[in-house]
Amino acid sequence: MSVTDNLPTNQIVYLRPKGGRVLIPEVILASIAPYVQNSWNKPEAGGVIMGRYIKDCEDIVVDKITLPMLGDKSGRFSFFRNKKSHQKVIDHEWEASNYTCTYLGGWHTHPEPVPTPSFVDKNDWKRNMKQDFFDSNCLFFMIVGTAEIRLWEGNKHKNSLTALNRI
Amino acid sequence: MADIQKYFTKFHEAIKLKRFEENSTLVEKRDIILNKLAAGLKKNFEDKDESVPKYNWFNQGSYEMGTGIKPINSDYDIDVGISFKIAKDDYSDPVDVKKWVYEALVGHTKRVEVRRPCVTVFYQKEGETEYHVDLAVYSDEECNSDGKKYLAKGKLNSSSNNKVWDHSEPCKLTNLINDHYSGDDHKQFVRVVRYLKRWKDNNFKIDGNAAPIGIGLTITSYDYYTPKKDLVDVFANKYNYNDLSALKNVVIRMISCFATYYDNGTSSERLKTYLPVEPRCDVFEKMTDNQMADFKKQLNALLDALNIAEDEVDPVAACESLQKIFGDDFPVPEKSDTAQKKGPAIITSSASA
Ligand SMILES: [Zn+2]
Repeated sequence: MSVTDNLPTNQIVYLRPKGGRVLIPEVILASIAPYVQNSWNKPEAGGVIMGRYIKDCEDIVVDKITLPMLGDKSGRFSFFRNKKSHQKVIDHEWEASNYTCTYLGGWHTHPEPVPTPSFVDKNDWKRNMKQDFFDSNCLFFMIVGTAEIRLWEGNKHKNSLTALNRI
Repeated sequence: MADIQKYFTKFHEAIKLKRFEENSTLVEKRDIILNKLAAGLKKNFEDKDESVPKYNWFNQGSYEMGTGIKPINSDYDIDVGISFKIAKDDYSDPVDVKKWVYEALVGHTKRVEVRRPCVTVFYQKEGETEYHVDLAVYSDEECNSDGKKYLAKGKLNSSSNNKVWDHSEPCKLTNLINDHYSGDDHKQFVRVVRYLKRWKDNNFKIDGNAAPIGIGLTITSYDYYTPKKDLVDVFANKYNYNDLSALKNVVIRMISCFATYYDNGTSSERLKTYLPVEPRCDVFEKMTDNQMADFKKQLNALLDALNIAEDEVDPVAACESLQKIFGDDFPVPEKSDTAQKKGPAIITSSASA
């Protein structure tokens, strides 16, 4: 039996620390599924997350993700995301959505059932919060394990990371 | 939670029928009928050398209650009460009095019928019934020794025990509905009634008694509705109304009030709801047990859709769930209408492990 049998296929909803929720819809999970590192020869994969800040509340809906593209480099235990190609998608989605589908953060895979961020991951996320340019206070980081998908919310001002719980 | 209320408000705007007096076309049609009735009565009675019966008329039904909705698979109806200044005891056969109305109007359109509770004039346009006027015929309370108003019931060929004068309080019912809660709470009550009526039109067949009748849904809402709103500004005393929550509350209470009734060794599960005025009958009594079972099944489907919409993070998906149950008049917004506009973003490269 493959451990990915446990990976959720229905939508996932995470609770944010100060209220509000983050929705990862089914269609997003389906596009990630082929990259789950559930066999020894699958390399690490990743991309950026985009979506909507819903009006009049703290809820967020993930509407788009990018998949590995030309210029990215991936190994079994590492993934390097090239900024140019992913930036193009971000620009296009933002303009096509009347400036509502915005950059939310990044995702990558781990070859372990319940993923935890590595030292490299945490440093990268903190650097993203400092050096990326975006119109909000926070970014979201998703790690896709073989049995679980986990999400962290990073706060730009507090320079903090919080693991979000599922509802 | 996302703001779904504005989509309920748009839905309500799309389905509501204005009060009768605000709808000039229907007022015009009604007045033509009333003129025709007056002229017909005058002629028929003068031809017989009898004095023309006196009466007054009044609007009744959902327009007067402010609970009317635009029909989707049936015609518009206009409800008028005709209250004759006669004592019911002088007319042992109430259908004789309905015949006065019938004979004054027959031939006015292709189809005029004496139905059990009223006399109905159907108007057709290109073969389809466009609207109909129901004239309920009463013996006026001023003329009865007990001071009560009576509705003439029965068809032309009904047996005598199906021809009755029924104590009836149409104006009292209209007033009860109109005075149920006040101000914005009353408006939410009326919206809930309209949502249920459109849900009914969208989910039940129209033939026979397959669907719960509109007045039945109005009375159950009257019985079960409580205002649902959140205080958003203590100083301005400003509330945000939550129609989803108000409707859900009524639906939950309706479902929980289904009960099993035993009669002659058989049992049936029914929702019984009684008119709060005379004749105080069960408004759903004409539905069969199978129709009742379908009614409950549909209520549960409505509750499921409301729960999904309430829990859903994405307002687009929430509205899609509601559109499935309420039909195309429930709006589904574009994704971009549901989100805040954001400035540009510029990413750096990223290395993960
Ligand atoms: Zn990692």
